[in-house]
Amino acid sequence: MSWTTKPSATQKIPTRTEPYLTAAMKDRYERELIPRYATRHGALMPILHDIQHEHRHIPYQAMLEIAAFLKITPAEVLDTATFYEEYSVHERGTCVIGICQSIACEVCDHKKLVDHVRGKLGIEPHETTDDGKFTLLTLECLGSCDTAPVALFNETLHEKLTVEKLDQLIEEAKHSSGEHH
Amino acid sequence: MPLTEPALTKRIPTFPWGDPKNRRTVGIDEYLATGGYKSLEKALSMQPGEVVNTIKDAVVRGRGGAGFPAGLKWTFLPPPDGKTRYLCINCDEAEPGTFKDRLLCDFDPHLILEGIAIACYACQLDTAFFFIRGEYHHQAKVVQRAIDEAYAKGIFGKQGLLRGASQFKVECYLHRGAGAYICGEETGLLEAIEGKRGWPRIKPPFPAVKGLFGRPTIINNVETLAACVPILEKGVAWWKGCGCESTVGGMPSYGPKLMGVSGHVNRPGVYECDLGIPLRKLVEEYCGGMRNGKKFKGAIAGGVSMGVLGTDQYDAAMDFDIGRKCDVLGLGTACPTIFDEDTDMVAVARNIARFFKNESCGQCTPCREGSGWMLKILTRIERGDATTKDLDLVVEIAGSMGLTPGTTICGLADGNNFAVRTIVNKFRGEFEKRVKPHYVATSVPVTTRGAVGAGAR
Repeated sequence: MSWTTKPSATQKIPTRTEPYLTAAMKDRYERELIPRYATRHGALMPILHDIQHEHRHIPYQAMLEIAAFLKITPAEVLDTATFYEEYSVHERGTCVIGICQSIACEVCDHKKLVDHVRGKLGIEPHETTDDGKFTLLTLECLGSCDTAPVALFNETLHEKLTVEKLDQLIEEAKHSSGEHH
Repeated sequence: MPLTEPALTKRIPTFPWGDPKNRRTVGIDEYLATGGYKSLEKALSMQPGEVVNTIKDAVVRGRGGAGFPAGLKWTFLPPPDGKTRYLCINCDEAEPGTFKDRLLCDFDPHLILEGIAIACYACQLDTAFFFIRGEYHHQAKVVQRAIDEAYAKGIFGKQGLLRGASQFKVECYLHRGAGAYICGEETGLLEAIEGKRGWPRIKPPFPAVKGLFGRPTIINNVETLAACVPILEKGVAWWKGCGCESTVGGMPSYGPKLMGVSGHVNRPGVYECDLGIPLRKLVEEYCGGMRNGKKFKGAIAGGVSMGVLGTDQYDAAMDFDIGRKCDVLGLGTACPTIFDEDTDMVAVARNIARFFKNESCGQCTPCREGSGWMLKILTRIERGDATTKDLDLVVEIAGSMGLTPGTTICGLADGNNFAVRTIVNKFRGEFEKRVKPHYVATSVPVTTRGAVGAGAR
């Protein structure tokens, strides 16, 4: 759960002329996604996943476009987008480091990992580095307690992590092009 | 007769039958070559009602945590009316300490899909939504590939189940969650599939009558559905031969169960064993004993919301009676997290309280506010700034939350309630050592009327 505070109604939404939801995307959703769900609203989460994956956040303009496409209110899109941890209204770094902080990882010393990232990158949990490369997240159970401590680097789970291994992964991410891996 | 050969882990090498190093994802060809979809074939040769009765006779208790008999749940459905009815597969395995469903998704996804097809046929449900948690990126890809393979082989799709062996058609879709523990609650899960925030619904109406998109819906855990496959293959008598009877007059705990052990043991991992196995045996025999030769201090019973087993409960039998016998909430997912003698139980309580504070959906006030306050108080106790009064307060707040005292819509707060209360009760000395006495200066004049505290109790 992310418990994001909703912005006030007076907030100015940054816009761009190019739509986030392209005609090709809409066409694909209309064919593949919409028929699965009894209501158009049902297709919201998969669409948000796509936008989050592509842009590393859910821009407000995209929310308006999705709302129009699904024939629901923008408030309903915002409601869902701000409820789930994986969606973010603020742009995340190209490499999101999500360290598990739940019980099995805590008793297997996850704190060392968090402290190492904080020291190395100079960010606190839920912050992004100034160059937009890294975001540190502390997540709840990643469902890999037998190999604790674990962390997600974007969509890849790394198990039985040590500070050395973490260091190596960060160095690799620093020099990669920033693709989701 | 106890479990003599692996059932759920038939194709997944697991101790004592195989080496986990040899695990790999079983594709459709290998699955079919090793007797796959034979149980579905058998199910299709029976009437749907017979399949339901088989599962009901076997007393398959739900593997997702509550232990509600799956066959009984299936009988709650109204008769088919020709319109869409849903099966939702709960793979929102977000309970800290739990990772048993991940094993099935990772290595034998077709076992789950076969269970889905059987359940859909038995209950006459034409659409299945496989709800997988957002953090399972890899598993989502594996399951999606398996679904595509199943469609290609004619298991699901327009031609009817199993290449038209039955006229009954089933569609199966994957729906990814996005990181919310509450979506593991069955009605929260339905809300998430509908594209809304995962706020649990007030029951009744129960999902079997009015569920997903207002239609009859069955929600089952991954392991429960997977268990239907060996039951149809080997029969009800085999299933009842595994596991144990209740010793306290409750429902029996039949069948093998996947148990995922984590924490301070030598070989953490998922093991398939009979229900009723003593925790000591699970740790000493299956997991190779405690790590670094340390002593056992306590264990989470089965996912943090079930509470902890104390040092003297090392011999607890891991069956559905554990709640009544060992003063915890229940067996949960049967995935214990083991703590050694060096573990700080105050930190454990604080960690669990933080989890529930983060994951409370915010719908019911006792849970939303209570979880936050408990975290604050437990953090204070851990820091050494609290008094004995805080310790009583935290137990009082915990006891006021959840379905048990009747203050919330769903059971999330019960998890918080039991976790915190059992830790504080079973390791009270450790907490008392960290708190200061709550002194009241004797020179303070005390009036009987209007004074703080007077008449409050």
